[in-house]
Amino acid sequence: MPQGDYIDLHRKRYGYRPDHFERKRKKEARLVHKRSETAQKALGIKGKMFAKKRYAEKALMKKTLIMHEESSTRRKVDDDVHEGSIPAYLIDRVYTTRAKILNNTIKQKRKEKAGKWDVPLPKVRPVAEDEMFKILRSGKRKTKQWKRMITKATFVGPGFTRKPPKYERFIRPSGLRFTKAHVTHPELKATFNLEIIGVKKNPNGQMYTSLGVLTKGTIIEVNVSELGLVTPAGKVVWGKYAQVTNNPEIDGCVNAVLLV
Amino acid sequence: MVQYNFKKMTVVPNGKDFIDIILSRTQRQTPTVVHKGYAISRLRQFYMRKVKYTQQNFHEKLSTIVDEFPRLDDIHPFYGDLLHVLYNKDHYKLALGQINTARNLIGKISKDYVKLLKYGDSLYRCKCLKVAALGRMCTVIKRIGPSLAYLEQIRQHMARLPSIDPNTRTVLICGYPNVGKSSFINKITRADVDVQPYAFTTKSLFVGHTDYKYLRYQVIDTPGILDRPFEDRNIIEMCSITALAHLRAAVLFFLDISGSCGYSIAQQAALFHSIKSLFMNKPLIIVCNKTDLQPLDGISEEDKKLVAEMKSEAMKTVIGQGGEATNDDGVLLTMSTLTEEGVIAVKNAACERLLNQRVELKMKSKKINDCLNRFHVAMPKPRDNKERPPCIPQAVIEAKIKQAAEKEKRQTERDLENENGGAGVYSASLKKHYILANDEWKEDVMPEILDGHNVSDFVDPDILHRLEELEREEGLRQEEDGDDFEMDGLELTPEEKKTLAAIRKKKSLLIQEHRIKKSTAESRPIVPRKFDKDREFTTKRMGRQLSKLGIDPSRAIERARSRSVSRGRKRERSVDRGDNDGGDAMDVDTPNKKQRMLSRSHSRSRSRPPTEVAPGEGFKDSNQKAKALQKARKSNKNRNKDARRGEADRVIPTLKPKHLFSGKRSIGKTQRR
Repeated sequence: MPQGDYIDLHRKRYGYRPDHFERKRKKEARLVHKRSETAQKALGIKGKMFAKKRYAEKALMKKTLIMHEESSTRRKVDDDVHEGSIPAYLIDRVYTTRAKILNNTIKQKRKEKAGKWDVPLPKVRPVAEDEMFKILRSGKRKTKQWKRMITKATFVGPGFTRKPPKYERFIRPSGLRFTKAHVTHPELKATFNLEIIGVKKNPNGQMYTSLGVLTKGTIIEVNVSELGLVTPAGKVVWGKYAQVTNNPEIDGCVNAVLLV
Repeated sequence: MVQYNFKKMTVVPNGKDFIDIILSRTQRQTPTVVHKGYAISRLRQFYMRKVKYTQQNFHEKLSTIVDEFPRLDDIHPFYGDLLHVLYNKDHYKLALGQINTARNLIGKISKDYVKLLKYGDSLYRCKCLKVAALGRMCTVIKRIGPSLAYLEQIRQHMARLPSIDPNTRTVLICGYPNVGKSSFINKITRADVDVQPYAFTTKSLFVGHTDYKYLRYQVIDTPGILDRPFEDRNIIEMCSITALAHLRAAVLFFLDISGSCGYSIAQQAALFHSIKSLFMNKPLIIVCNKTDLQPLDGISEEDKKLVAEMKSEAMKTVIGQGGEATNDDGVLLTMSTLTEEGVIAVKNAACERLLNQRVELKMKSKKINDCLNRFHVAMPKPRDNKERPPCIPQAVIEAKIKQAAEKEKRQTERDLENENGGAGVYSASLKKHYILANDEWKEDVMPEILDGHNVSDFVDPDILHRLEELEREEGLRQEEDGDDFEMDGLELTPEEKKTLAAIRKKKSLLIQEHRIKKSTAESRPIVPRKFDKDREFTTKRMGRQLSKLGIDPSRAIERARSRSVSRGRKRERSVDRGDNDGGDAMDVDTPNKKQRMLSRSHSRSRSRPPTEVAPGEGFKDSNQKAKALQKARKSNKNRNKDARRGEADRVIPTLKPKHLFSGKRSIGKTQRR
């Protein structure tokens, strides 16, 4: 039975076939043609996948080629003129600058007064009611149609209990309830899985906000204690606003962007 | 009993390939067509099936990986330790753990998304959910890519580990590097271990098998061990230490007394003392190798003392086992693998001691009692004190002696070759031993092609014999022809002779044809010739053809008519036959002649029997020819049953047989007939 490195041992003892290297070289040369043949003949999904792979490879190849072509030569360096440097004959002139340096906090206060939020998605497609609700028939003869089931993703708080089923008008199915969101920090470019604390505002209407519906563009409040943010005063920040950037009922998850 | 066959583990695919395989399988094995207008439950089911199918496949494949890789805690501690030494146990467990978590994660993803799919109300929504589910599963697999690659490498290495059975009789060889362990194992087993002058040629364990007293022993060759503290040992040395520690085997400690391995006896003795704790409860034999370079008696005094110390340690193991304390030779042995002296003795000593130890252990165990009760070795009591050696007849002894002498005396071709200059210089004359009628023909060159024909097609060893036979026949034939020529009582004219010859030739051709379709039940068409619609083959036609040749056809027609095997003619024929006895042989010439012709044609001697192979026919031997003839006949059989004249005969006698195209059915419908 072959033991240990039997392949290497055989090569050591008997060497390679007389035509081994030639065959190897020829096989590798043939591979090029075979690749081009598959590239031309592959159809359908296979073709698309192959084309994508090949495109990435080609881009990489081009980059490396360019890198190799870069030669380290010495070039003349132009002396840049520094900002703010002035010629000798202008040194003694006095200029007054008129600029308003506003404090950050003042800016914040102004914004709050105006009630405007600078959000990543300012405009959002409005969601119609028949898209949002599904009519459920109830009653002995199934003629009553006052119940509605919400077809979008929702958030209900941890202490949520349903109203008695006979009286509840809006049904939020438990399969569509989400508690966590994938929140991206726009500057760090990192995504964290954070708990949702509540729904702040749904752009489609106040009713949806109170129901807790999560659609694209909804502002939610998330628990950021993981990130370890601290206010200038020294207090730990544990809740921040984020805006939902996808359609959670289609993707099966809530993706949001943190509002900083 | 677990077979440690690590060669049967399935290949672990790498991350990307894994994803490709599963996704393409999902695409192929689940239905692919779905339209917007289908019922919503059907759409949901369609996509849920895909998600579940993908999850199941991932689960299956990941489970096979996790199950096939051995659990280091469940296998024999020898293998457990060996695998720990080779592939770090923690790393190994972590990798397998990652695979396990991936499997669970994928299960969770599938569950979540199937739950969500139940609320899908449009094709687009369901499709997006399915895409998201599959995408997440594939991301999980992408993340464990490095673990998969690591496991694949481990699997490849494990497949090449020698299959050592930890429970059977084993002999372990250990010692410093380059002392001759691998050479020893090469000598007693068929293991082909690499032997080189540099140290650490053997880098892993090798196993070979050898026989002693009708039992099979495993011999394990280990890499050399250096004298170092335990913590400093590298992986290769740890392999041997593991083997020493966990296998119950007879240990052969090899000592190179010539010092040509580069290490002195003192160093080797130091190693011995540092690992002697591993030799507990194992039959230990100290083997002094390379005695051809330096005999044991020729070493210095200190070295002798060291060797004696080692021997006393080894003796302790003998005594510890309850063996005889007197068995001096069983503990310290000398040998030389180069000259092969003492090699067999060492092997026998090791195997004997191991066997004794194992037998003792078995006798002491509890299980032996129920075995002992079951068998009883009967030794026949000797009748008398007469010695009865084996009886070899005198002739056999003499023959043996003669054979031995002959073997020595006979000069083989090889010896001739060597005498006359070797392989390249002397070429043996292959025609030396030809058996020919005339010895001068031996060196003749035989032509291969003559007159445009292959000579070998015409070669026949019995050709002269056949020629004689043929001539004899021809001779007979000549007489017959002579008879015929005086058929009508007068000589035929040359033209008549020519026409007669032409007729005879055509007739012989026809006869040959007919002989091919031999008239047996199989080959004769069972369906009568009523399908000869054209009615070509009539006596009238024959008459016309004969008159074309210029001959009176009337007698031929008569003869043909009388010969035909039709019912009407039987009586005539028998009458004819019956007449033979009483009738004049001269008078009723025709039937007599016909009879003779019949009998002659049926029993005409062939120049060859049917299964004999003529040189040009292309058959290997007569068996093959017989088979070919049989096959030809067999193919004829079915054709004849359909009344087809040959392979290409596709005549349909009636294109629309009535029973297939008309008529009512008693019950049932007439949709198919």
